[in-house]
Amino acid sequence: MSRAFALCLGLAASHAASAAAPGLGGARIEFNRDVRPILSENCFACHGFDPKHREGGLRLDTFEGATEDRDGARGIIPGNPDKSDVWQRVISDDEDEMMPPQKSHKPRLDARQRNILKAWIEQGAHYQRHWSFEPLKREQVPVIPGVSHPIDRFIQKRLMEEKMVPSPAAEASTLIRRVSLDLTGLPPTPSEVDAFVDASAKGAEAAYGALVDRLLTSPHYGERWGRWWLDQARYADSNGYSIDAPRQIWKFRDWVVTALNADMPFDQFTIEQLAGDLLPKATQSQIIATGFHRNTQINQEGGIDKEQYRIDSIFDRVATTGSVWLGLSIGCAQCHDHKFDPIEQKEYYRLFAFFNNQEEPEMKVFDSSVDVKALTAEFNDIEKKLAALIKQRQAEVSDWEKETTAAFRAKLPAAVKKALRIPLAKRTLADHIAVFNVFTQPSDPLRILNDRHRELDALLHKGVTTMVLKELAKPRKTTVLIKGDFTRPADEVTPGTPAVLHALAAPSGRLPNRLDLAKWIVSPQNPLTARVIVNRVWQQYFGRGIVETENDFGSQGTLPSHPELLDWLASEFLAQKWSLKALHRLIVTSHTYRQSSVSRLDDAKRDPNNYLLARQSRLRLDAEIVRDVCLAASGLLSQKVGGPPVFPPIPDGVMSQGQVKRVWTVSKGADKYRRGLYTFVYRASPPPELTVFDAPEGFNSCTRRIRSNTPLQALTMLNDAGFFELAATLEKTIQKDGVAAAFKRCTARPPAPAELAILNGLDTLSAARALLNLDETITRE
Amino acid sequence: MNAMNLPHEQTRRYFLSRCGVGMGTMALSHLLAREDALTPRKTHFPARAKSVIFLFMAGGPSQLDMFVRKPELQKHDGRPIPESFTKGKRFAFMDSSHRNDLLASRFSFHQHGHSGAWVNDLLPHTASIVDELTFVHTCKTDLFNHAPAKFFMNTGSGIFGRPSMGAWITYGLGSECDNLPGFVVLQSGPRGPRGGAVLWSSGVLPTSYQGVPLRNSGDPIVNLSSPQGIDAAEQRRVVDAVRALNTQRLTNTGDAEITTRINAYEMAFRMQTSAPELMDLSGESRATLELYGIRDARETTFARNCLLARRLVERGVRFVQLYDTNWDHHGGPTENLEKHLPLKCTDIDRPCAALVKDLKSRGLLDDTIVVWGGEFGRTPMGEVRESTGRNHHIDAFTMWFAGGGFKPGTHYGETDEFGFGAVENPVHVHDIHATLLNQLGLDHQKLSVRSQGLDFRLTGVDPAKVVRGLLA
Repeated sequence: MSRAFALCLGLAASHAASAAAPGLGGARIEFNRDVRPILSENCFACHGFDPKHREGGLRLDTFEGATEDRDGARGIIPGNPDKSDVWQRVISDDEDEMMPPQKSHKPRLDARQRNILKAWIEQGAHYQRHWSFEPLKREQVPVIPGVSHPIDRFIQKRLMEEKMVPSPAAEASTLIRRVSLDLTGLPPTPSEVDAFVDASAKGAEAAYGALVDRLLTSPHYGERWGRWWLDQARYADSNGYSIDAPRQIWKFRDWVVTALNADMPFDQFTIEQLAGDLLPKATQSQIIATGFHRNTQINQEGGIDKEQYRIDSIFDRVATTGSVWLGLSIGCAQCHDHKFDPIEQKEYYRLFAFFNNQEEPEMKVFDSSVDVKALTAEFNDIEKKLAALIKQRQAEVSDWEKETTAAFRAKLPAAVKKALRIPLAKRTLADHIAVFNVFTQPSDPLRILNDRHRELDALLHKGVTTMVLKELAKPRKTTVLIKGDFTRPADEVTPGTPAVLHALAAPSGRLPNRLDLAKWIVSPQNPLTARVIVNRVWQQYFGRGIVETENDFGSQGTLPSHPELLDWLASEFLAQKWSLKALHRLIVTSHTYRQSSVSRLDDAKRDPNNYLLARQSRLRLDAEIVRDVCLAASGLLSQKVGGPPVFPPIPDGVMSQGQVKRVWTVSKGADKYRRGLYTFVYRASPPPELTVFDAPEGFNSCTRRIRSNTPLQALTMLNDAGFFELAATLEKTIQKDGVAAAFKRCTARPPAPAELAILNGLDTLSAARALLNLDETITRE
Repeated sequence: MNAMNLPHEQTRRYFLSRCGVGMGTMALSHLLAREDALTPRKTHFPARAKSVIFLFMAGGPSQLDMFVRKPELQKHDGRPIPESFTKGKRFAFMDSSHRNDLLASRFSFHQHGHSGAWVNDLLPHTASIVDELTFVHTCKTDLFNHAPAKFFMNTGSGIFGRPSMGAWITYGLGSECDNLPGFVVLQSGPRGPRGGAVLWSSGVLPTSYQGVPLRNSGDPIVNLSSPQGIDAAEQRRVVDAVRALNTQRLTNTGDAEITTRINAYEMAFRMQTSAPELMDLSGESRATLELYGIRDARETTFARNCLLARRLVERGVRFVQLYDTNWDHHGGPTENLEKHLPLKCTDIDRPCAALVKDLKSRGLLDDTIVVWGGEFGRTPMGEVRESTGRNHHIDAFTMWFAGGGFKPGTHYGETDEFGFGAVENPVHVHDIHATLLNQLGLDHQKLSVRSQGLDFRLTGVDPAKVVRGLLA
């Protein structure tokens, strides 16, 4: 990977703007598309929304501010650039005058930027609200002869404008591997490939439709897209900071997988995670869902002020809610009014107030088949019966005690000896039972009753726990914290949402709570959430969102490359009642998705980074899937879904990286070969095989993974004992069925003669190792 | 990275032969434009130094028992510090062992060198090189618990997920070494540092810039050795086959990312030889081993890590960080000032001095900045525990710097009579970061990466300054 990560965002912005506004001769300037990026990047830090950092009293983010008369000077005079201060300062070469000033370290505006600015002022300096705060606009799908899929029509309209053409469809074997990996995170088996290739030859559309249906109903769909969501939920299995003790919250992970497999509508999915505990008659499952915001770290270091770290976890919850659902960097307003987006510090703390009223308990979780209410009643009833029976049979006990010798008693278990020292009348239920167990038969009615008592006790009281949220009866007081410092409280605030967005439906007679916030987030009036989620799904399929800054839809983010398509997809998502599966089907059935990813020389120059999607992109697989694919190729993959995290082999010494050396007992049997989703992740010493491929460590919400490409990845694939075991297993396939069969297990295609020749020049083990190490094996093409 | 252009060559040949010169040249320039993540890059202005060795005393070394002598503190032993010092201040362990009674140092100090630096008698070797060192006695940080303060010293922020200094510097400068990682971490002491792998994380930067720990047991780098039973020739055959097959895929898809992967496999293979060679100290002279105080080269001591640090910068590695743990001398049974501070001083004294001398004698000190310090210092007040100790202190603590254009034989910053706070020239952690970057030719305001709509910098958003007074 090159520095593309750092640079491409800037390129994206300029690309989108330049492609949209080419020659300026008389063209209509659009504020959001053309001007705002220039002002936001160069001016708003000192002439924006935040009054504390406003220079010279001039604000350029509103028409009123820009045109205000300030002692005779006006930043902008609509229609007259020559008399507008802003324009004069931009073109000035005087060091004291020029804008942006030298101390800002920003380059001067280039010719294109200047032309836009000047033309805009000439045309009347019309402002628009920031695009993402405007309501969704469902435009007519463009008509392109011979093209029926709405996505393709939007994409190809734009390509036609640039005189470009889409790529041909990918080959059937490429396509089945691509869509299987994208929808389930697992490669197709060789027989699935053969069947699909045959069926495609007979009827490509029908075969593909059936394939997509099958994949969307696979239980592995929830695993693959569950991981996508868990990244955003900053899920991991330990407390973080220096002590990093293990925690139990995998029930939340399983909740996510189950909800996605059931295609729970995204609005309900949201409400249950943010406020499931506040729903009327909340079910156990809805309370488990609130684990979303328990995935914050807990500092267990000695000498800390616990309140400081409680507040830190709330900062994280506010920031995560902002970036995951609203695509806004709300966290910036923690210390000061947001410099670029219209969010005041006070509004930040009103959001904070929603998350400041919780206890953070652990909840016992029972298998869904357990009828807790009925069993609790039975448990209490049995306890009473036991007590009564014991009372009835006290004479039996005293008789037996009289008969026992000291020598006999000395050999009894400690618990019984202890019970016998206590006078009969003062013994607890447990004491009595201990004694009865010595002198009665297993078939004794009391023993049978006690067996059931013990079973119910385990079922009801010793289950798995999971971390959840619970609303406090009496809310904590929330104040603005000066500079985000919890020792410096200022004005008191009540829960509320930012004024720039749609209004919160205020409940009567009480303050709004998390449930109101969750409903506000998924309100059809919210212009952000549907756009943000659709964009983040799109990003998984094409390697980049329609809005490239997937967690910043604010004014510092990049503009959408295809704004009409984004809005159409978002409104379709709502029309399909927030069904993620419908959204996936819509995207993967487009030609845009199904086209070849091979680079073409004709568009490599025009659109080298493929913003316009004249082809698909080759994408290196996510960390967990890199291993899943190798597990599947070797045939060792365990298909088990859900359950406690597992401990596959890891290199020696990994667990001593942090302050406390944690135990890592390697799982036995099939649990060694579970999907990467189930690997236990300690935040302070995460499995190197995952982090080396950019898996997040759960410190904060991750809305897009980096795709790096490093020598340490090569060392992992070549030498890691776990991967070597998979190669040794794949070798058996080579010995049995030949190297071509093994090649197909890795890539879903037969090898070309030249490729086969290279592999045949190796011994079988080396060939197997080479196959697992191919770029193609760990890439979705 | 000369050895890495082979695949480019092959791609070029492909395009030239199959696509005609005009189009081929175009595609080639596109492929070549994608430089490797660690390719050396231009600095913002001429650099004074090329690499950094950061000797991190994890836990917070007691400046008042090592480098700061305060007669008033000695005089007022056991008496409470005036409230004017501590009013409104927060400390660790406020609810248990924290106390406000001053604690005189139990150690004796002498002045050394032309610079007249005070050094306690437990550090004779460090005392012998004080004229090479730049002491800063007014270092200041924001956070007083270990893990958050360590993040702060390393990443300029107490929040998780930010890139560490080593990652920033490797991102800014690339690496001059083509067979070892650009950012290497070494550890000594009884346990890992609090915070773990986050301390050398690349945060929002690509993982190419992440610190790579050279481990004390097993392979020096995770998965460095070929699998059991695979010899170098066999490994080479696999790597060659992978390269040949990947090259075919590159010609079929035109995806430049494959070029990067081919290069990554070549570097990985080179690392398999170069990392063991690095770790093998048998070529070092007896005199060198003695200089560092290394008795057994297989023992994973701070001394051995100092020698490895020299070998790393010698090979062009950009940033080397040594963590030495057990510097948290609160006064508990396992970490106190009477017994454990002297032990720690003995552990590090000779190796620190040896590193500076060795770098100098090999002409490497000019280009290398050596940094010594911890995440914070310790209070002038004592704690009430089993034995003698001090609490975490963030208002004024000591770090020293050597080489790389720092002004030798200097002490900078004045503290009050008890050494509680700065009275002159406070130096915030962000100022230290700005100064280090400056010496490496990087402008801390320009070295940024955009994420979540913000330009992240090592030095954060509050103003930070290059401390000119520290520089030659």
